Amino acid sequence: MKVFRKIPGYLNIWSLLSLIIVILILLPNLTILINFFTEKAENWAHIQEFILPDLLKNTGLIMLFTGLFAILVGTSLAWLVSAYDFPMKKFFKWALILPLAIPPFIAGYTYNGILDYTGVIQTTLRNNWDITVNQSYFNILNLPGAVFIFTMFLFPYVYTITRAFLAHQSASLVENARLLGRNSWEIYFKVVLPISRGAIVGGVSLVLLEVLNDYGLVQYFGVPTFSTAIFQTWFGMNDLNSAIKLAATLMFIVFAILILEKVMRGRKKYSSTTAKSRPLKPIKLKGSKAWIAFSYCLLIFMLAFLIPFIQMIDWMFLTYEKIASPEFTSLISNSVLVSFIGAALVMVFAVIIANFARMHQSFISKSAARVTILGYSIPGAVIAVGISTIFIDLDKWLFAFYEAVGMEPSLFLSTSLFILISAYIIRFLAIGYNSVEAGFDKIGNKYTEASRMLGLNLTKTFFKVDLRMIKVPLISGFILVFIDILKELPLTLILRPFNFDTLATKAYQYASDEQIHEASLASILIVVISGIAIYIFHQVLEKEPN
Amino acid sequence: MFVEIKDLCFCYGKTKTNTINHFHLEIEQGEIISIQGDSGSGKSTVLRLLCGLEVPSKGKISIDGAVMTDDRRFVLPEKRGIGMVFQDYALFPHMTVLENIQFGLKKFSRSERKQRADEVLELVNMTAYGKRYPHELSGGQQQRIALARALAPKPSLLLLDEPFSNLDAGLQIKIRSELREIIKKTGITSIFVSHDLEDSKAIADRIVTMRDGAAHDWESICTTKKEQPELQLVEMK
Repeated sequence: MKVFRKIPGYLNIWSLLSLIIVILILLPNLTILINFFTEKAENWAHIQEFILPDLLKNTGLIMLFTGLFAILVGTSLAWLVSAYDFPMKKFFKWALILPLAIPPFIAGYTYNGILDYTGVIQTTLRNNWDITVNQSYFNILNLPGAVFIFTMFLFPYVYTITRAFLAHQSASLVENARLLGRNSWEIYFKVVLPISRGAIVGGVSLVLLEVLNDYGLVQYFGVPTFSTAIFQTWFGMNDLNSAIKLAATLMFIVFAILILEKVMRGRKKYSSTTAKSRPLKPIKLKGSKAWIAFSYCLLIFMLAFLIPFIQMIDWMFLTYEKIASPEFTSLISNSVLVSFIGAALVMVFAVIIANFARMHQSFISKSAARVTILGYSIPGAVIAVGISTIFIDLDKWLFAFYEAVGMEPSLFLSTSLFILISAYIIRFLAIGYNSVEAGFDKIGNKYTEASRMLGLNLTKTFFKVDLRMIKVPLISGFILVFIDILKELPLTLILRPFNFDTLATKAYQYASDEQIHEASLASILIVVISGIAIYIFHQVLEKEPN
Repeated sequence: MFVEIKDLCFCYGKTKTNTINHFHLEIEQGEIISIQGDSGSGKSTVLRLLCGLEVPSKGKISIDGAVMTDDRRFVLPEKRGIGMVFQDYALFPHMTVLENIQFGLKKFSRSERKQRADEVLELVNMTAYGKRYPHELSGGQQQRIALARALAPKPSLLLLDEPFSNLDAGLQIKIRSELREIIKKTGITSIFVSHDLEDSKAIADRIVTMRDGAAHDWESICTTKKEQPELQLVEMK
């Protein structure tokens, strides 16, 4: 019996903890799916008939166009930067990732502020040339506006993944096509796009998942989508069960995207079959061509980073005296606190599961890894619904206990930071996990095996050997998760304790109260911290190809 | 018999074919065995099964009378008391040579630990290198340290996985005679895996040949070096 032999290998703290973590992650999502089929909801029939079709239409349109434009912008920039040399290319190479530092909702209200009646463009036209414009041309608060913002601030997902692919994998194919006499456009459409299909699909699915996760932008722009509908039914109609059904519907869409991604990517993986790959050697562009390439990159960089960033700085100088107060300091400390605790716990959990997964190449360990990654695909509002349901049940269950220890019986856990941090862990575990897994892949299992052959068990080996060797991926994973929690909006808005604000929620609140100038200081802090992190990562990644 | 492997079977992951197919081997105490075969023949897998890094699907392994694994038991690798020299040595890069060697000596007292480390360093002629880090050593030196580290906890059995594959040809010949000398000096039972017949001939008392991932009728092909220097393969079945 192989089972008996296998048991000693599995009987350790790592597999036990991994199992617990996986169950904790699955629980909220399962609750949603089960409730979808069992519980009755008072407003569901109404929602199905009058709201759902709109939600599906809006969500579908936004995803379709954002996806298309993100592919267009992302791949064209990736190709330009990988295959050609032109002025300031080195700068654009990493600067074009910077738009990711600006969360879409911040970009959204900034652009609205630039374009509206009191914004810089219209006032300049009015005051200097006495031109009054048709307001409808300058109204960005609609579905096309949302697509524009999503495209500009999410395309870097497509750009980075495609660029990494092109830089390391495409050299021989592209050079062959050049030798066979094809011009640049033909190569782009006939070679580059088809061979990078896997990378593009990977990047665009990230974009779409971010779109589904967004709450702040679509709410501000007045485009109803699933996230806003979940908020509305839950808090507006006070109908948690309908919110759960909406969340479940959204989850089905996410699963559809994930399955589609697998199918579209086919058997093509990012890595090529040959172990040795040369980097693509860029061609030097001359004359007008060089300036066209430069202008295109500059245009996108300005639209997607520079213009909104400068506008925010301008607003910040108008208002910082009013905003910078002890209250603001507490915002910063709140943000840093939850991001720090969240990121630290994510890394601990990620290490536990990754260590378990690499020790056992079995079905169980592979599923554990899949589940870990799943959380990142589930939109924040859905996770919030699921985790609230569980915590409210848990509080009811602990009711007697609260009474026994003399606490005022209440929804203690559901209104504490505990629930918020748990939600962060579920949503961002994937980011920490990927980082740790890559680290483990790099060192392989040989050091661990060597240590065990010298008589140290798994746990001692982990602390004495493994942990020291994955220090760098551990720290970089931590920073990535930290930044993501710092920017996070929907989960924080729903699950934060009463009167608990972070930089992101405060910026959002100011903006939705039409105090756009006041929102800028918090926004700038988020953007600058994220921007610095992105810069560091780009530099680190450049030094270590693959 | 000191090491007994009976009817050992193993397959990787979901593959249907057995990488190790009904493998038998018996080894006497103090013997140096070479497992010889082409790449993919499963010779390294036998080592990994012996030391417990892989779990067999069938069969029994016992060392010095103690059952390591059979149908109902499985002793974890760290509990087996087997020393192993890895193909690429796997010296911990964040520790000095001395720390690497003392790594496996946690059961020893502090003074014993120091003494034992000095002993094995002397055994491999590397006394002067204790304070160095692995990357500051040449390939041959790294290998000696890996050997010293494996020998330090006084294992009952020493396994060496392709010990010469990372060395250049000139060094290989010099080191293999050294290796045999060191192993013989300690009198430890050893099994090493190699694809190079010359290596096997130079070091081993007895050579076991594997082919096609399946074990062969080893008794008919395994020869004792002194009795029959000419080797021949006999197809099983």
